[in-house]
Amino acid sequence: MVDQIPNLGRESEMLSEIGLKSMSDLFSNIPEGVRREDSLPLPPPQSEEQILEDARRLLGANVDLDSRPSFLSAGLARNFVPTMVPMLATRGEFLTSYTPYQPEVSQGMLQAMWEFQTMVSELVGLPISNVSMYDASTAAAEAITCAVRVKSKKATNPNSVFVSGLVPPHRLSVIRNYTQGVGIELHILPHNDDGSLDMEMVSSAAGSSAVYVEQPNSLGILDEGLIGLKEIIGDSTALIVGVDAVSLGLVQPPGHWGADIVVGEGQPFGIGPTGGGPIYGIFACTKEFLRLMPGRIVGQSIDTEGKTAYTLTLSTREQHIRRHRATSNICSNETLIALMGAMHMSLLGPEGLEKLATRISSATYAVMEAVTNIPGVDLVNPGGAFFREFAIRLPGPAKEALSSMDAAGVLGGFDLGNWWEDMSDCLLIGCDEGITESDISSLVDALGAWSGGVK
Amino acid sequence: MNTVFDFNGASGSGWSQPDSNFQNPDAVPDSLRRKRLPGWPRASEPELVRHYTLLSQKTFGIDTGFYPLGSCTMKHNPRVNERIVQLPGIDRIHPLQDSSQVQGLLAIYYEMQEMLAICSGMDAVTLQPVAGAQGEFTAIRCIQEYHRSRGDDHRDKVIVPDSAHGTNPASASMCGYQIIEIPSASDGRLDIDALRAAVGDDTAAMMITNPSTMGLFETNIAEASQIVHEAGGQMYYDGANFNAIIGKTDPGRMGFDAVHYNLHKTFSQPHGGGGPGSGPIGVKGHLSEFLPTPIASRRESQEGEPNGVGDGFYYFWQDVGDNSIGKVQQWNGNAGAVVRAWAFYRRYGRDLERMSEHAVLNSNYLRHKIMNPEPDVASKINCMPSEGSEASLVMHEFTLSMSPVKEINGVTGKDVAKRLLDYGYMSPTLYFPQIVPECLMIEPTETESKEVLDKFAADFHAVLSEDPEILTTAPHTTPVKRVDEVWAARNLILRHPGNDED
Repeated sequence: MVDQIPNLGRESEMLSEIGLKSMSDLFSNIPEGVRREDSLPLPPPQSEEQILEDARRLLGANVDLDSRPSFLSAGLARNFVPTMVPMLATRGEFLTSYTPYQPEVSQGMLQAMWEFQTMVSELVGLPISNVSMYDASTAAAEAITCAVRVKSKKATNPNSVFVSGLVPPHRLSVIRNYTQGVGIELHILPHNDDGSLDMEMVSSAAGSSAVYVEQPNSLGILDEGLIGLKEIIGDSTALIVGVDAVSLGLVQPPGHWGADIVVGEGQPFGIGPTGGGPIYGIFACTKEFLRLMPGRIVGQSIDTEGKTAYTLTLSTREQHIRRHRATSNICSNETLIALMGAMHMSLLGPEGLEKLATRISSATYAVMEAVTNIPGVDLVNPGGAFFREFAIRLPGPAKEALSSMDAAGVLGGFDLGNWWEDMSDCLLIGCDEGITESDISSLVDALGAWSGGVK
Repeated sequence: MNTVFDFNGASGSGWSQPDSNFQNPDAVPDSLRRKRLPGWPRASEPELVRHYTLLSQKTFGIDTGFYPLGSCTMKHNPRVNERIVQLPGIDRIHPLQDSSQVQGLLAIYYEMQEMLAICSGMDAVTLQPVAGAQGEFTAIRCIQEYHRSRGDDHRDKVIVPDSAHGTNPASASMCGYQIIEIPSASDGRLDIDALRAAVGDDTAAMMITNPSTMGLFETNIAEASQIVHEAGGQMYYDGANFNAIIGKTDPGRMGFDAVHYNLHKTFSQPHGGGGPGSGPIGVKGHLSEFLPTPIASRRESQEGEPNGVGDGFYYFWQDVGDNSIGKVQQWNGNAGAVVRAWAFYRRYGRDLERMSEHAVLNSNYLRHKIMNPEPDVASKINCMPSEGSEASLVMHEFTLSMSPVKEINGVTGKDVAKRLLDYGYMSPTLYFPQIVPECLMIEPTETESKEVLDKFAADFHAVLSEDPEILTTAPHTTPVKRVDEVWAARNLILRHPGNDED
């Protein structure tokens, strides 16, 4: 018996008041030809106890990342989320509210989002932030369409956009889906053998509407050359940079070296990897893009008595007002996850952020040193600077290495052959603040045992 | 305490982290090194717990009170769902883990795909889109590739009724389509003649929700599908109002080719101040090869293979193939939202039909109560609203027009909405659909009791009986008085200015 409907058993009382006899009378407008006559072929309802038991059984069959040494990151972090964050963010008032269309009864969420905008703005070094995109990929994709809207009047090749060749294929696919319909032509920027962007080829991007690069890139490389990128492409081309948000505790924010739009995955602040979602994308920009940017924005205001208040603003960009001329179709976004992000960032504070980034950087280099000591295992991009991730070349297929390490109880990384066929002997190793000496020993033992046995 | 930035304690962060397990490599080249840390607050956990608790108390949710926000299906969110998503088997799962390590999650995905296909009369489902609008976008992309695959590239127009959600034209426009908006008939329903005049060999698709945003079932929907199909177009069902029809009819029977579902509406993923959502789509067989990749699949377990969830099947991510549109979200959708929706669905099972029945019952009951006050109450009301549609029956939501009230005493729909906040309610959806002047759109959902509906109707009448000035200056009891939205847009204070030391 369903336990979620307060008026079960009171149907006839309510029906008679509105002059109807049966529940089916309520659906008499559905013509016979389209009416469903049979019951849904689904199982009977369950109680809360039964559902929880099934959930534990099913989800318990999954291998969670904390149950073994894990080195899988690839753009998502096995982070530690302070306990306060889920506890406070799932307070019913936050959890069960919707988009704050009525600011007078939504001041709390509005203020929290305004604070979120400020913290993102500070983090990336740009003045404007919205209250979240779906993820890093849709943030990158909508940054590109936004940049084309703004820059196409000045650019000499207005429909051209240049994208780093190290943008992972799943993100490139999202970008293609979002850009194909509006006539944007994507060009791929090549990289040097050491994984840095080929700066000689970048000059061909001048005159286009936008350039999209990532720092660190998908192989974990912090590319010093990117600092000079804006100077090469000039003012008429937007520089869009995707970031690992946590890296900015150590690394200069792109807003300080000429980025017009910064996007990235917000997930490391606020929520566990959660099977890939819900997570949230960061989107920040300069004032030039403000009126044509996607997503919701909170502004400070006053009430009729002059008291400080917060409200959604610049809504005329949005689909519920502008319809097909809107700057984006985004409606439901990821506000609750952004709230978790704001809580996590507040708890960290500036020094806590630096410490977190340092812990990840330290773990990255400790793991790197250990695995590259294994005979036959080499760094793909030696000499570079790395954050969180790095790629190694193996003496055999990465797929086999992973499967062998899995049998030894180690989640050894990501098979780069899944992204690029010519890297099927490469493993992307992801490191986080939770990596221990013992995790590294397990990885080295498992990987060493496999590579030692490769002919 | 005004904002979180007023916390600026002397000694570092509020959350203690262990020291690094390893030596600091000092790996960041000087040219890339951050010079000044971000101007974030410096606060302790006790300070922040209080800060966010106070903010939550200035936020209205379903848990706080009745939330009749039409079109948003603000139903109760069962709490066990939140407990389930905290389990490590979902919270600590990476989307790139091998299928063998996520058998339980894949089994839940598979079950949800099957259930949604059954409820909607579709053949294939993907759970990848993460919001209703992204579901619309994804489905229109599939339709676009379908036409291209048949050499029908010239189809460049998408038809939407003028009562459609703004996301419909926005999503189709992002795919590169021109939008043809057709006016509604005088009863608020689809104007079939206007549709007939709008279709042609340039029609790619029609996007429509049924019941409509007017809360009306489109009785001639099968004919509409036929008209669009005969012109070579595809029919797209906006599932925003799916809560009204489960078990009673389905988009498949109505002739639709593609549909999106809002798991955050119909299946109770909490709305969280604006998100997250989840917007899976279902399609008929001829569109399935274009779906985003991958989808959850299964085969019988082979001998010697570990039997993951004990049902005799091995679950895996199935690549959709060369004609797939690829990815719309970077991973496999909002898995946490899917798991919550699964837990919600299990609560109902085949009784999802009861859910829709009670959503429609509550809507018709509340509409009747509002529009038919007792004589002693009616005598005190300054002026009654008119119904957005004269139809005798509505579905899960209904519209009221405050135009008569505005004409008599100058009180707008917005004034009524703001005054309802003083009575402890969230306002109905305001000024949508735009075809109803001074519109209030009300959706009570199935999780409100008769007493709540009775009280809301009585309070609504009380509002209409008050001195108009009380309404035009409302709200009076909220944490702030009416907020000046023009001031916000003019001054654009979009972040904290920063503390002095910065």
